Amino acid sequence: MAKPPQPSRRGATRQQRQAGKTKNPWRTGQRFDIKLYLRQHQAFLKESLGRLVGHPLASIMTILVIAISLSLPGGLFVLLKNVQSVTDQWEQQSVISLYLFPNQDDTQALSLSHQLSSRADVASVEYISKEEGLRYFEQSSGYEEIMSTLPENPLPIVLKVIPKAAVDLTTLPALQELRAHLQSLPQVEHAELDAEWLQRLATILDFGQRFVYAISALLVFAVLLIVGNTIRTAVESRRDEVLVMKLVGATNSYIRRPFLYMGFWFGVLGGVFATLCIILLTLWVSAPAEQLIELYHAEFELQSFNAVEIIICLTISALIGVIGSWIAVSRHIRDIELQ
Amino acid sequence: MEIEFQRVGKKYESGQEALSQVSFHLRQAEMAFLTGHSGAGKSTLMKLIMMIERQSTGNILVDGVDLSTLGKGAIPYHRRRVGVVFQNHQLLFDRSVFHNVALPLQVSGADDAQTGKRVRAALDKVGLLGKEKLNPMALSGGEQQRIGIARAVVNKPQLLLADEPTGNLDPRLSAEIMNLFQEFNRVGVTVLVASHDLALVARMRHRVLTLNQGHMVNDGGFS
Repeated sequence: MAKPPQPSRRGATRQQRQAGKTKNPWRTGQRFDIKLYLRQHQAFLKESLGRLVGHPLASIMTILVIAISLSLPGGLFVLLKNVQSVTDQWEQQSVISLYLFPNQDDTQALSLSHQLSSRADVASVEYISKEEGLRYFEQSSGYEEIMSTLPENPLPIVLKVIPKAAVDLTTLPALQELRAHLQSLPQVEHAELDAEWLQRLATILDFGQRFVYAISALLVFAVLLIVGNTIRTAVESRRDEVLVMKLVGATNSYIRRPFLYMGFWFGVLGGVFATLCIILLTLWVSAPAEQLIELYHAEFELQSFNAVEIIICLTISALIGVIGSWIAVSRHIRDIELQ
Repeated sequence: MEIEFQRVGKKYESGQEALSQVSFHLRQAEMAFLTGHSGAGKSTLMKLIMMIERQSTGNILVDGVDLSTLGKGAIPYHRRRVGVVFQNHQLLFDRSVFHNVALPLQVSGADDAQTGKRVRAALDKVGLLGKEKLNPMALSGGEQQRIGIARAVVNKPQLLLADEPTGNLDPRLSAEIMNLFQEFNRVGVTVLVASHDLALVARMRHRVLTLNQGHMVNDGGFS
């Protein structure tokens, strides 16, 4: 065997010494073999599943805890998705009412009305003079007598701007922008978008979304801890094996691998059960939910997880499993040293 | 494999000085015994060669390479070239004899066909061919010891270390085990056996290294 160059210890910087340390005279010549790598992984995948099956009760308990922890954020996600799909259908004719300053006369107001109706995002503008306004008011409110006691008509000229877009959750921001623009016109005292309840709904949905994210983050953390703890116990119970493997020259990454796969299986199986839970739950509530929505004369079909979402859910749960076991196993394998 | 200790000392964190100023040179394909009372430093010396412990002073050269220049990442590859029969770290009872012996091969990534061939060859050498499917628990103490030896040599190591390999065995079995080591040595493997069975060591007629309280007090012919 060729003698590798010996780093001179005297006068070498710490860094150089470190570099010298990582050099491995016996590793050279060993090429990375992709086939071998894949074969080992396949073997580990099978072996680690076998170990899970070997301790069925403990494995099922862990998997169920993971499944329950994951099905809560998953279920909330489905709920949110459905609320959004329902509210997306809810739209109404949008109207922005412009209350002009009292000093505006009919000619000025009419010219503003023409100007606005030529805008691309405006369908039409309805002109309501002071007198018309007074008539509407008297008819609808029944304050005829009180109004007749006033010396003059207190009502302003109103322009009802009908935008092209109907108002719903998706068009709301653009309409709010239009309202702000109209408010900024010099003739306009006050501009009002008649969509208060939609604005409230949007806020509630935003709140709901953040709530779901926060809950999800907490429960993902919980699953990391559950997997980590389970894997730590598994490593501890195989202490002798880890020691023998270190003795016969196993690298830490080789020792780590079966445990990572174990975490992978816990994650995936937990994800599968969580998905099943959510699908069953949606089936269970679908009949009453659809009846409820029908009362509001809306078309509605309760949505469950679709294929893409199932894949995303399983991927995330598998990742959580691998990461949780990685953290536990890296810490633990370093602690188990030959003596 | 060639081992050279140059004024090696080992002081444990507890303050106990296990080895001091130990120098010797074990040549390629040489066989030697390491003797001394318990606590003399035999195990420590073996652990230093396996890089289970690191020396406090001096240099250990393996095939000319100073072990202190090797980082943690190099340790597994170093250990693959050394076969060990240690008293603790013995067999795993959750798997068959075959899988116990195959462990070093799996760890270094041998394929199944090669593994099967080598494991059977190793078991044949120690006289356990045909018992590969059994659980080690079903075998006698002497047979278990031979499984350990098969595991140590299955990787065709260049150095074989044995720490009290005949500890619990009767004289006849002990002699058999020693003969096995001698056979490996004859095909070019460097062998170092720690034993306190002086009578047995004397009969083997090999070089004897004697430790006393961490010092090398005798290096020479059999006593």
